[in-house]
Amino acid sequence: MIRQKVTLKNETGLHARPASELVKLSNKFKSNIELEVGEKKASAKSILGIMSLGIKVNTEIEIICDGEDEQTAMNEIIEAFNNNFGE
Amino acid sequence: MLKGKGVSTGIGFGKIVILKNEEKVIEKRTVENPEAEMQKFKQAFNQVIKETEEMVSKLSGTELDIMQAYLMIMQDPSLISETENAITNLNYSAEYAVEVGFNSVIQIFENMDDEYMAGRSRDIADIKNRVLSKLFNEETINISKLEENTIIVAKELTTSDTAKLDFKNVSGIITELGGTNSHTSIMARTHAIPAITKVEEATKIFRNGDYVAIDGLSGEIYLNPSEEEKQKLFKLKEEIQKENQELEKFKGLETKTKDGYKVELVANIGTPADVEIVLKNTAEGVGLLRSEFLYMDSENMPTEEEQYNAYKEVAEKMQGKSVIIRTLDVGGDKELKYLKLEKEANPFLGYRAIRLCLDNLNIFKTQLRAILRASHYGNLSIMFPMISSIEELREAKKILEECKTELDNENIPYKKDIKTGIMIEIPSAALISYGLARECDFFSIGTNDLIQYTVAVERGNEKIAKLYTKFHPGVIKLVKEAINGAHDGGIFCGMCGEAAGDELYIPLLIGLGLDEFSMNSNSILKARKIISNLEKTECEKLAERILMLSSAEEVEKELKKFSQNK
Repeated sequence: MIRQKVTLKNETGLHARPASELVKLSNKFKSNIELEVGEKKASAKSILGIMSLGIKVNTEIEIICDGEDEQTAMNEIIEAFNNNFGE
Repeated sequence: MLKGKGVSTGIGFGKIVILKNEEKVIEKRTVENPEAEMQKFKQAFNQVIKETEEMVSKLSGTELDIMQAYLMIMQDPSLISETENAITNLNYSAEYAVEVGFNSVIQIFENMDDEYMAGRSRDIADIKNRVLSKLFNEETINISKLEENTIIVAKELTTSDTAKLDFKNVSGIITELGGTNSHTSIMARTHAIPAITKVEEATKIFRNGDYVAIDGLSGEIYLNPSEEEKQKLFKLKEEIQKENQELEKFKGLETKTKDGYKVELVANIGTPADVEIVLKNTAEGVGLLRSEFLYMDSENMPTEEEQYNAYKEVAEKMQGKSVIIRTLDVGGDKELKYLKLEKEANPFLGYRAIRLCLDNLNIFKTQLRAILRASHYGNLSIMFPMISSIEELREAKKILEECKTELDNENIPYKKDIKTGIMIEIPSAALISYGLARECDFFSIGTNDLIQYTVAVERGNEKIAKLYTKFHPGVIKLVKEAINGAHDGGIFCGMCGEAAGDELYIPLLIGLGLDEFSMNSNSILKARKIISNLEKTECEKLAERILMLSSAEEVEKELKKFSQNK
């Protein structure tokens, strides 16, 4: 299991479209992937879960990957965050 | 007693069936068999997903991104985990489980301090409502197979509702919305079903199975009528029947005035099935066959073969009598599932009817070929709707010629001298009638749209409904212009709007020289009776007086005075 912190840069927060991008990306991996914000935690493979975290711009998020492809998953997810999910 | 606006006369008695009761109160209910309930839920839910997928497949750009995210929400197992839990572990009914389960998700979003996220609760609520309506639809009665003497209650009937409706068992229609010229009202009159509109909250006031009596003339509705009320209405019903018997005398007669001026009295129809009523009322032909039924009733664009069969059926049943088929008139208020049209700010002034056809030649040509092929079996004519300029008429005729050449090359027979005409429903067309008349074989004035375009009042807008009137002198002048243009060009001029069957309006139209009156089949005999009682010369004088007036009110008064003195 690995953990890494990332900050969301999308002005409008992690709303439906970027959240759906994150789900699509996460579903590519076998690992269990979770997002942790403060005390709340949700699966990165559930759009409702992600949206229910209500992540706003400049929020620090901890990504937790656990599984055989955890390192690739982490790298790609961090990259997606840094690219603002293509927005 | 309740009161609405009577839009189709007649007395009806029967039991109420409510269509699409939105905002239904969902009561807590447990079930014996959760497995069956789960299946019911899954079926409804999967249907909603499937419909969304279909929607998504037609989108692009930002809209696509948004809808994809929406679809992903629907496919997220956590969306329905509470619902499933409520069915499996609490034995709730599918409806109640959806209510509870989805509300738990809605609440999560509602409580978020982010405005955008809070707004997403509406998306979830929308999914919930769609699933619920699927669940309720399963329970609602199949409207194409109703019990005898059913009174339909709905907010408003859609075209697809009326297309499916089992008319022979409907003894009345009550709606919350709609006016005299709304789709429901026209259909009700065609089928001689008493109908009342503008009954506020009708879908909430009544319950399925309530016994009511309705009077489609006065707009009165009696819920559980007393013996006395029943007697009164039975008596009224008898009187109406007596009047109808009186009209029976006019069956099969020629339509002419006392002084021998002959006109054509023909019918407006919406489907081949309507031909029966046309013949029963001895209309002299079909002045308007609305071809939309083929398109609106179907999930896909109707094929040439399907259309050909339908037109051929009408042509044959009418046994050589004239049948005018209007080409596809959609857009604006009438949409097609499989033809994605952009939302427009002013759909009635937008991409519709002939404009849409000239831009989608495959649709247009398929229809024209089907009509041409069917014309071999009867006396068919083609009519183009919404012509506003001579170029459109020329373009449409050019395409018709192309279709004829194709059929010639394929050795397929058709009526070589098939007549082509146009609807006069846009003021500009009425004003250039002299030119148009030289390039087509007939006109038919569509008053419903002509009024709307002349006085700039949208037909369905209740707030300004008062301004929508056939008595407006401006409208009458355009009608006169169209008739004069037609006669100057040596062609005939008909009218297929509601005004053609109007008791007050008929004398005016005779006076203006209208050649053909096309109306609902049920008005035919009455119109024949009215015309038989008129003299062309007195009508001409009436028309002269009317043309001097400058207000709708004065026109109506003058026409009423004329009718009363008859």
